[in-house]
Amino acid sequence: MDSTALCTLRDCTFAYSGEGAALRNVTLHVRAGELVMLVGPSGCGKTTATRLVNGLAPRHFTGTLTGHACTGGLEASRAPLESHARVVGSVFQNPKTQYFHARSTDELAFPCENAGMPAPQIRERVRQVAARFGIADLLDRAIVNLSGGQQQRFAVASAAVLEPAVMVLDEPTSNLDTASMARLHGMIAALKADGVAIVIAEHRLAWCADLVDRYCVFDGGELLGTYTAREFEALPATQREAWGLRALDVSEDRARIAALARAPHTSHGEGTPVLGTRGLEVGYRKRALFRRGVEFSLRIPDVDVYGGQIVGIMGRNGAGKSTFARTLCGLQAPLAGTVELGGESARASALSRAAALVMQDVHYQLFAESVRAEVMLETVQAGGELAAAREQCDALLGELDLLDVADRHPMSLSGGQKQRLAIAVALMGKKRFVVLDEPTSGLDRAHMMQVGALLRELADRGVAVLVITHDDELAAHWCDRILALD
Amino acid sequence: MTAAARAAGVRTRALRLDPRAKLTMLAVANVLMFLHAGPAAQSLAVVLFSLPLLFGGKAAAGVRMLAVYGVLCAVEWASALGVDRLPWLHIAGATAAGVCMMMPCLTAGMAMFATTRPGDMVCAMRRMRAPDALVIPVVVMMRFFPTIRHDYRLIRQSLRLRGFAGGGMALARHPLRSLEYILVPLLMNAANVARDLTVAGLARGLGAPGEPTSMVELRMRAVDWLAVALSLAPLAVAAVTG
Repeated sequence: MDSTALCTLRDCTFAYSGEGAALRNVTLHVRAGELVMLVGPSGCGKTTATRLVNGLAPRHFTGTLTGHACTGGLEASRAPLESHARVVGSVFQNPKTQYFHARSTDELAFPCENAGMPAPQIRERVRQVAARFGIADLLDRAIVNLSGGQQQRFAVASAAVLEPAVMVLDEPTSNLDTASMARLHGMIAALKADGVAIVIAEHRLAWCADLVDRYCVFDGGELLGTYTAREFEALPATQREAWGLRALDVSEDRARIAALARAPHTSHGEGTPVLGTRGLEVGYRKRALFRRGVEFSLRIPDVDVYGGQIVGIMGRNGAGKSTFARTLCGLQAPLAGTVELGGESARASALSRAAALVMQDVHYQLFAESVRAEVMLETVQAGGELAAAREQCDALLGELDLLDVADRHPMSLSGGQKQRLAIAVALMGKKRFVVLDEPTSGLDRAHMMQVGALLRELADRGVAVLVITHDDELAAHWCDRILALD
Repeated sequence: MTAAARAAGVRTRALRLDPRAKLTMLAVANVLMFLHAGPAAQSLAVVLFSLPLLFGGKAAAGVRMLAVYGVLCAVEWASALGVDRLPWLHIAGATAAGVCMMMPCLTAGMAMFATTRPGDMVCAMRRMRAPDALVIPVVVMMRFFPTIRHDYRLIRQSLRLRGFAGGGMALARHPLRSLEYILVPLLMNAANVARDLTVAGLARGLGAPGEPTSMVELRMRAVDWLAVALSLAPLAVAAVTG
């Protein structure tokens, strides 16, 4: 055993209660100042490995652990979870569900308060950590109003505020844009320079490739191999793709995106565009007791979108991409300008009838008790012809690979299946355009390519496809045009 | 002045009561409801319990609570005047009276959740020797309320795109269907958010043994004791007026 390791998993096998082994005979160790990246396709066991490191398994996520999992002198199976909080800082995937407080400053103070630090010391520590990570200008703000990227920086800062010896990050960049990833890179570099042992589980490799010391490749709960950064980079790209990993270098993708974004946005296809914007300005107004005024606004360049095209909508976190999407779907009134449907200015209700929106959290939009009933919902409610609709529904489910699960409850499906179901609903409703919000966040390469192929299939049916994304690889491989909103 | 500076300014000027004072209000409000307190005690309680909202930086919420109470009282009064000629008004009057009875509780609860930092709540509950099994759910719930509104909006939007009206009219016309379509996704998502939040909280040392502290020292100041004394006033009024 390596005596200098801050974090050790030795021959660890772990099974969640009532399930098969999620992790089998895994051995890895991380020393002070080292960054170890856990990589592999979805469900490969890397998240479980991070939970053994920060003590969440088997203490919170119960199950049976054999082997030896030790972090900063604490045994995962023996030490209480609360004592792990001082030794390990943890950051999770979704920035929206890991803050507790309404104000950003309070969030940084939270771990110190739980640790019972005296008040003057907490204030000093909060000031220090904010200065160190360059987020002092974001102190004392309402966290809801911060962008996803800013929220994630607070999550890292709040995990680091007790100066833990080990930091664990589970897919921290799933929801982040390029600039936010660069900022996160800076924070990780600072932690590494201070001698913190860092474990990151990720699909996206490019953002911190220069800081990684070792890569641990997982598949099916097993550790396939451990590679030094140099060995890993020397592997052929096809090998990394076969493991389901994202690209190590996305500069080519970014160059292609930049080229696509430079192309003119209007008069770009044949016939009449499905959707167009003219002088559009989107945003929302303030809602307070005695104040009125525009709280946020964004000018959209004039765009035409034709059936059969996939248009990527890109831009930093908080640029207004989702507001733009809601305006296109007629869910929100524009501040100025018009949205055109088939070449004519359209009212909100007409847009809503023509639009489908596949949300990032798909479970907000599935209502029925079975997959088939979900697709048939509108027909049943409208009292339409059921036999013909059922035939059409089953044909669609077959094409989207959902026929096997047609009688299951939509909530019991996997994330990808839910996405395909939402698309089946859109096709059944004969929607003219479909907007997808971040359909590939947190997906490995194979699943990302599947989503891309699905978008193409949708476009080939004559639907105009708009996809909001931060995913350079999705945009470069599958989009016909890019609209950059910055 | 930047938005941040303005926000900070609002914050320093805002009245910041100790959570224990606000808990006292909530307890008094519950006792009033239990006792079926008369209109004098009830209206005094609503006005008093909206003060933490009005002076704690949540003026809009406070005004809204008072306005709702005003409308309910007006409905109760008007239906009492007209019930001889229009017997069905009795239903409106009885409903208004019933909701009025809950208003002290709703106002005190709103003041509790809208103006208290979760950290302060942990600290105050620990000082009161509340067990972890109570503290952690309460704190997760506090963080949780604002997300429900956000979720509800998203669900209504997706209902609209599917061609179903998700507004109040639809709720009135197809109450069961609307409830199912809104509640099922809401609860599913609530379960996911609660799971994530619990994990994030535990990883930040929520529930650690020993007494947690607060960044802003938490103690009962003169104004807190004054608030406790004032919040007992409706009980005295209820005792006198019967």
